[in-house]
Parts: sequence; structure tokens; C-alpha cells
Amino acid sequence: MDRRVAFAVMAMAMAGGLAACHKKAPPVAPTPQVDTAAIRRAHEDSLRAAQAADAQRRLAADAEARARAAAAALESARAALAAPIYFEYDQATISDEAKATLDQKVAMLRANPDLKLRIDGNADERGSEEYNLALGMRRAEAARQYIAGFGIDAARLASMSNGEDKPTDPGHDESAWAKNRRDDFVITAGGEKITLPAGQ
Amino acid sequence: MNMRAGTLVAGLLLALGSGLAAQQDTTRLPTGVRLGLTYQTLQRARVAVRPFGSPAAQAALAADVTGIVRRDLNYSDRFQMADFIPSALAQGGAVDFKAWNGLGVVWLITGDVVPTGSGLALHLVLYDVVYGSVKQALNFPLPSPQSPDFRLAVHQASDMAVQWITGQPGIAATRIAYVVGSPQGGYAVRVVDSDGEGARTVAGAAGHITSPAWSRDGGRLAFARATGSHWDVLERDMATGATRVVLSRDGLVFTPAYSPDGRRLAFSSWNGRGTELQDYDVVQRCCLRRLTQGNAADLSPSYSPDGSRLAFNSDRLGQPAIYVMPAGGGPTDLLSPYTYGEPGYYTSPAWAPAGSQVAFHGRSRGEFQIMLADASRPGAPVQQITADGRNEDPSWAPDARHIVFSGVRAGGSGLYVIDVATGRVRPVLTGGRYRVPDWSPRLRTGAGAGTR
Repeated sequence: MDRRVAFAVMAMAMAGGLAACHKKAPPVAPTPQVDTAAIRRAHEDSLRAAQAADAQRRLAADAEARARAAAAALESARAALAAPIYFEYDQATISDEAKATLDQKVAMLRANPDLKLRIDGNADERGSEEYNLALGMRRAEAARQYIAGFGIDAARLASMSNGEDKPTDPGHDESAWAKNRRDDFVITAGGEKITLPAGQ
Repeated sequence: MNMRAGTLVAGLLLALGSGLAAQQDTTRLPTGVRLGLTYQTLQRARVAVRPFGSPAAQAALAADVTGIVRRDLNYSDRFQMADFIPSALAQGGAVDFKAWNGLGVVWLITGDVVPTGSGLALHLVLYDVVYGSVKQALNFPLPSPQSPDFRLAVHQASDMAVQWITGQPGIAATRIAYVVGSPQGGYAVRVVDSDGEGARTVAGAAGHITSPAWSRDGGRLAFARATGSHWDVLERDMATGATRVVLSRDGLVFTPAYSPDGRRLAFSSWNGRGTELQDYDVVQRCCLRRLTQGNAADLSPSYSPDGSRLAFNSDRLGQPAIYVMPAGGGPTDLLSPYTYGEPGYYTSPAWAPAGSQVAFHGRSRGEFQIMLADASRPGAPVQQITADGRNEDPSWAPDARHIVFSGVRAGGSGLYVIDVATGRVRPVLTGGRYRVPDWSPRLRTGAGAGTR
């Protein structure tokens, strides 16, 4: 052994001794064999999982969107059924504008044979309490007759009067009164599931 | 009492040109309507009520009773009340006619609240000051001051005092039924003494209540009540509080009115197209009759004093108006003003319990006001007797001279009384939306209390 070799051996022994102070030397790992097929499989697996999760999410989102759309459609169907109609002062005549509103309800009632409505007639605050009860009743009845005129069974339509006691707008001017001379429509049966009429 | 006897047209009668008006003209009176009353020129005698005497134990009670009688006489609108009484004259004992005469007092009322074997009595004396003599004296038994009939008994004494002086009884021993409520808080029929005291609920419901109507003996009160789209007319026995359903309909049945003999009830009923008038024998509970038919709103029947005719409200000509017809149905006369092209609005007729005056409310200058028409003169101009604020739903006192109505006025929202003879208006009950008042006939104690 020449001096250089001896030095190297010594240095190695020192290093080994130093290391030995802390822990045992790890077993020498075999040189890894790179398994490219497994890597590819793992990659593909994770890709598939991600795609599946994504599809799941998309499905859920689609379902949610469909549910939302259905709920919105139900809501708008209900809103169309509940949309009030308005009257001129001291009149119980159905205006052209009111007819358009009522026509939507007729279509909805046709598409949903279990649907029943209550029509509440209302008057503005002017005039006598009792006359306004009679006026409200005739306003409710006018809408009921109009709808029944399209062949809807009148038994599916109840009518009542609130007189002047249920104003939409509590104000005391013409703009308030105009909102209060109205029929309200309340779904009393068959409102859980509403089939939209064809073409809507 | 004949309203037109010995009267002069002394009120403000605005002569207005006829012609077509704009639909919502708020500056001029409707054609056929005159503003103001036909005042009576009768002298109103000066009356003094000396503080009533009593044993010391009843002193406070005697002061209360004095106050009630004084106010009742004031509210009769038939006297000038001597408000100031010098302390020398306020004492009990012999009446110093000369001193009272010096105050301009024509009639003096003294009284004593005295214990009797069974309770209390009010001993009332009326003196004719001018002639220096006792005109009348009477003992009025009083129920216990805790009884709801106590005030009614004092009011009866007041009404007798009014009769001693004028020959016509007063209207203090009466009550006014009315409706208060809303869809949010529910509805109630309430009853209040004619002087605004003792308001109390006699019936309540979550649904709409309207149209209270006294029978002519004051023993029963009918009213209409809604449960959803179903309506009932109920009748309450005011002495026992027992309530029964008289009429029951899907759709409206309301505005009941008792015939003067108490046998029939006229009312308005939904017929599928409008409301028609019907009547019914409430004693035998039979014999329903249809009095009107058609698509119009016919409602608010009100009997003439002899029961032979009905005033009612109908919009058969397009706008609500007041009509008169035979009580069993038949040809109708239009009573409210009608001018072609000038839309009017007249509702809530009430026929006076004597004479031919029909009160109602109509739109004038953009607001609703109380008006009077003479059913014996259809087509004659009607008188508008209120002008302050909005005034609706008149009902007559049994003297056919005072009218209670629902008002939104400078004095607040509530029930007001107007004396048709003098035009004087007083509040009965303010601070709420009190509607469709109906004034009772004169009540007997026990019969119309309806409070227990």
C-alpha cells in the first residue's frame, strides 16, 4: 500500500467512523430499474380518474342546471298563473291586456288538468266598503267566466272578493289605486308539478 | 218629527249651473247636489244641570252621573247648555229661580243619587225657571256602577229629561255598532255607547266581517262574515250573546236590514253574475223571496219607517246610485242625481226611522260626502251635508235627526255624528278606521247590553 492509498483508506475510515456516530450506514439500494410501462399506466389511471371525476362533476352540474331550469320553469309557470290582471275604475270588464294574461293561464290550465285556481277580486279604497265587496266579486267572476269560456271546467276556478281591504299599494293616489283594482290568482291544487304547455 | 215644519232655508245654498262636467272635476259640485243644510230656526232654550247631590259616600259617583247627564243633554243638540254655574247656585237646597233666571236659564235640572233598599236611584227634577215651578220629577233606579247597564240607565234618565222639555225623547240610551279590522289582524264587530264610552267587541273573526245591523227593538244584531269564499249572515242575541247563522252562501251574502216589524230580513246575495236583493222571514225562518235580479250589484237595502218601501244601492245604470222600490220588489225610482255623461257615485243608503229622508254618501269634488235625499220627491236636488275630509256610510239615530258616519277628517279618522237640524258635528270615537256604523234604536237596560 503506498501512502496515497493509505491516506485514502484512512479518510474513508474517518468518514465511516463519523457516520457511524449517528446511524448505521443504509443498506446499499439496488440501482432502480426504470419501469416505463408502470409509469404510463399510473399516468393513464390518474388521467382516467380525473376524467371520470370531471364527467361526474359535469353530470352533477348538468343535473343541477336541469333542476334549476325546471325549478325556474315551474316558478315562471307559477308566476304566469299568479299574474294579476287589472281593471279600470269602477269596472269589472276584462281589458285586452288582461285577456293576454288570462290566455296564458288558460293554456296552463289545459296542460295541467289537476290544477285549480282561486280568483280574488280587489277594489281600490275609493267608494263604500260594501259596494267594493260586490265589485271585487264581479271582477273575480269576470275572470272566471273568461277562463271557463275556453272550455276549462269552472269547478276548477273558485272566486272570492277582498273588497278594498287587500291593497297591493297602500298609497292614496291614482298610481296606487290602479295597482289595487285587480284580480289575484292563487293556486289551490296541482301546483307541485306543472307541465308547460307545448311551445313554451 | 217633520223635518220641514217651520223651517227656513237659511243655510248656504250654492247655486251652480248645470252642464256636463269633466270626469274627475274636483272643483265643482255634481249636478243635482246642493251644499248645505236647511237649518231649523227654532230657538234652543238654555238649560242648566245643577251638580247632583248625594250622601258623602256617593259624592264621586254623583259627580260622574252629573257629567253624563250634562253631556247627554249637550249631545241632543236641542239646547244651549249653561256651562258656567256660579258656586252659590251649585249648592243643593231650594232653587233660587230669580238668580237662575238672571243667567238666562229657562230649564233647570237638579238631581240626587240616593241609596235605595236594593241599590241606587237617581232622583231627577225639572224646573221651569221662567214660571218658578217644578215641571217634572221622577226616580230612576240605577244598577250597580260596575254593571255595563249603569251608564245606559243614566242615559235613559237623560233621554226622559229631553222628552220633558221638548216632547221628544233624547238618543243617549243608544249604541253604535261598527266594524274594525284588516286581513292581517282579523276583524271585529264592536259596539260603543252613543257618547263614545264603553267600546267593546261583540264578535270577531279572521275573515272579513261587515254590515252590522240592529233589529228595531235593539235585541238583535245581524252582521255578515266571510270564511274564504263562503259568507254567512249571523244574528246575535244581544241579551244572551247567543249567535246563530241566519243565511249561508258560497259567494257574497251581506248588507242585512231588519224590517221595522222585525219579521223580515232584506239582504244582498251573490247570484253568479252580480248581487241581487232578497228577503227572508226570520221569525218563521222561511219564505225566501228574490226582490231584484240581474247582473248589477244591488245591495244595502234600507226599509222606510212603515216597512212598505226599500231604498237600495245599484249600479244597473253603470255607476252606483240610490234607488227606491216597494219592499216586496217592483218598479224602482232613482233617488240620487243622474246626469247623462256625468258619472256619479252614490252608495250606502240609510232611510231615516221617521219621515222620508234617505241619507247616503256620494262623490263630490273628488271626495265622498254625506248627502240627503227626500224619497217623497225623487229627482229633487239632494243636499250635501258634510264638506270636511272624506265621509262615508251614514246611519240614523232613532230621532231621525242625528246621523253617525265613518269619517277621515281634520279631527282624525273615526266615527262622527252630525245633527241634521243644526249642522253640528261631534266625534264619537277617533283614532282608528271604524267602518260601516249602524245606530241602534233606544235600548232598554238588560235588553241590549250584550256585554256579558
